[in-house]
Amino acid sequence: MLVVALAVYPTFGTGYGVRAMLQIFMWIALAGSWNLISGLTGYVSFGHVAFFGAGAYTGAILISKASWPWLAAALAGGVGACAVALVIGYPCLRLKGPYFAIAMLGLNEVLRALVSYFEGLTGGGSGLSLPTLHATVPIYYAMAGTAATVTLLTYLIITSRFGLRLMTIREDELAAEAMGIDTARHKLYAFLLSAVGPGIAGALAARDQGYIEPISVFPLATTITMIVMVLFGGKGTVWGPVLGAVVLFVSQEFVWARFPYLHQLLFGAIIVAVVLLMPRGVLGLLQVKYRLPRTI
Amino acid sequence: MATPVLEIDGLSKRFGGVAAVDGVSLSLEPGRIYGLIGPNGSGKTTLFNCITGIERRDAGRVMFNGERIDGLKPYEIARKGIGRTFQVIRVFPELSALENLLVVTRGGLADAEARALELLRFVRLEGLRNEYAGNLSYGQQKLVEFVRVLMRDPSLILLDEPAAGVNRTLLNDLLDAVRRLRDEGRTVLLVEHDMKVVMGLCETVFVLDHGEKIAEGEPGVIQTDERVIEAYFGR
Amino acid sequence: MNIAITPAMVGQVVISGILAGALYAMVALGLALIYGVMRVINIAHGPLLMLGAYTTFFLYSALGLNPYLSVPATMLVLFLVGVGLQRTLVFRVVDAPELSSLLLTFGVSIALVNLAQLAFTSDLRAVEYLTGSFPLGPFAVSKTRLVAFLFAAGVTALAFLFLQRTRLGKAIRATSQHREVAMVCGIDVQRVHLITFGLATALAAAGGALLAVIVAIQPEMGQIWTFKSFLVIVLGGAGNYPGALLGGMLLGLIEQGASLFLTTQLSEVVAYVLLVVVLLVRPTGLLGGRQT
Repeated sequence: MLVVALAVYPTFGTGYGVRAMLQIFMWIALAGSWNLISGLTGYVSFGHVAFFGAGAYTGAILISKASWPWLAAALAGGVGACAVALVIGYPCLRLKGPYFAIAMLGLNEVLRALVSYFEGLTGGGSGLSLPTLHATVPIYYAMAGTAATVTLLTYLIITSRFGLRLMTIREDELAAEAMGIDTARHKLYAFLLSAVGPGIAGALAARDQGYIEPISVFPLATTITMIVMVLFGGKGTVWGPVLGAVVLFVSQEFVWARFPYLHQLLFGAIIVAVVLLMPRGVLGLLQVKYRLPRTI
Repeated sequence: MATPVLEIDGLSKRFGGVAAVDGVSLSLEPGRIYGLIGPNGSGKTTLFNCITGIERRDAGRVMFNGERIDGLKPYEIARKGIGRTFQVIRVFPELSALENLLVVTRGGLADAEARALELLRFVRLEGLRNEYAGNLSYGQQKLVEFVRVLMRDPSLILLDEPAAGVNRTLLNDLLDAVRRLRDEGRTVLLVEHDMKVVMGLCETVFVLDHGEKIAEGEPGVIQTDERVIEAYFGR
Repeated sequence: MNIAITPAMVGQVVISGILAGALYAMVALGLALIYGVMRVINIAHGPLLMLGAYTTFFLYSALGLNPYLSVPATMLVLFLVGVGLQRTLVFRVVDAPELSSLLLTFGVSIALVNLAQLAFTSDLRAVEYLTGSFPLGPFAVSKTRLVAFLFAAGVTALAFLFLQRTRLGKAIRATSQHREVAMVCGIDVQRVHLITFGLATALAAAGGALLAVIVAIQPEMGQIWTFKSFLVIVLGGAGNYPGALLGGMLLGLIEQGASLFLTTQLSEVVAYVLLVVVLLVRPTGLLGGRQT
């Protein structure tokens, strides 16, 4: 029912409505991906927007310099982000939590600096314009597909032993190792998977906007928003990121867009409040209280 | 003589200036129950950690079924067939009892589930299989941790204070279970403070003091050993 | 990139590197203390440095206080802020899983930066006090950098003296080595945590106060310092306080050295690559892990 409604929505929705839905799909894909690494394994990624940016630049370069069709470029964006994740994840995930968290904090700045430096390829600080293309509706479907795929993937992982093993890393990494679980490999797999969604979403967003620059695709605010959405909805659950994305995007769009700093300040406060008062988030709380299965 | 299951040769581990384990050698034969005793801080848990790869040894060799395992990662050692429990319970609190067992298995899920249910039935926790392990009582968590070790079908089982904090009925069940494991041909090495348990269960006892092995033998003999008495009661 | 490198340029790099390094060491020592004592990585460390810079700026612009005289005042103000943060928020996550403390301090960090945006706007501010540089043989030494170096060296030395000589300092070191033992020995661990967080924040604030005279002040100036401080700790070995000194000097020298060949932007990349490489090759830091 909902699926059908979302599928036919572009035929009657307003331009603004379609664009807003596209944004919600994007946030579901981003939040869901952050949840895969941080919600399940407990390894906090403070720089997940880096994969969004890496995907955006991979896609935009392939479209503008190599004339790739945008859908292929979007998939390549996922691959590009995954490659960045491999380079960072391999050394940093071998160590325990804080090293990884801080390495991710710096990653964003580094990618931004690199993008600005390789001007020939990326247009540097002045950005990269893509050839004009009116494809908002097809991109709407592609973004919806990305969001759905990330959510489905989360469902499949959480209901599998692979997902349980990821959770043991969060619960007690040392015990997991002693029980024969190759934690380093599992963390890396989860990290690589968590980079693909943002990579694709980044490339799609770049195509949709038609122009990208370092500041627009690597904002720290995007990482913050992903984190807030997942924490609010319930980390480590299937539908928590979806709930968080919808609720926070809607409130952001209609209430807070007028007060940018206050809105970010509020996000900081929400993180603090959720960590202290409701560490499982909304769905996690319901899950425990009403003994609901993992599949919510 | 059969090949020892575990053979430790000159194992040492230092923390800063202190030798936690100091040149310990010992050998375990298959199908027997061994005890490891010693005053607090004598290096028992560190020895367990070195065997299972959680601590990196400074010197010495560890052979498991004739194969060198020191230097391997903990998960590799576990996969070779060494299972362990911890002094402080380390179940996965936000996984259910059943999931705690399933998560350590590989291969067919149906078989794993059948085996996990069988083990939960064995420790009478079948009815609580879907409860988060963190919500179980102390004793129940201990049982979950114990049967979790068995999921991988290890040939050597290291138990760190299995009797601590367990009530009498549960304790007898646990001891029976350990004997049954021995009868199946597995080897058990346990650290224990409760001397009654050690004397009643173990066939050979090793005594550690300040990281050194000071005695080895049958429980009755150990009890009268001068150095052991000295280590426990001071000099 | 065919620049001939003269000995004079190398000398300049060494001087600038050491001057910058002392500042890195002082700020990183704060982060190292919190990590050592509480096992908490304080993501808000850099934003607290930013608050220090603003405090100095306002003491200077509103009260006309000499920026260097305001260093102790700024440290005191931020010491209290740190104690307040520990007392209201951070103490709740000291024993919680790492995830909680990382996220909590991350939330605090976002809140601080945006609070500063709201309160102070994102306009660039500057404290113009000492300017220019004086010649030292063939080299030019920036006056503000030199004074910052002297202050940083002094403050760091005092901090070490405090840790080594005073009862409270010894309690802090004991707690960071073995919390349970410290408790058994009658050390009030809660109080040690409060003081540690306050002291660490004061060290960051001193960095901010000194930077206020050197660089433009704006709400987002701080975040990079959390990262750099952590890098310093990793270089020196986590939990090893003297290691922070070595790590700071190394970072200063490497960054300055890199700037001979690369743009400023890319020398930040160098710092990052350095982090990843050190983690790969020597996960316990150059001086090794915690020392007894």
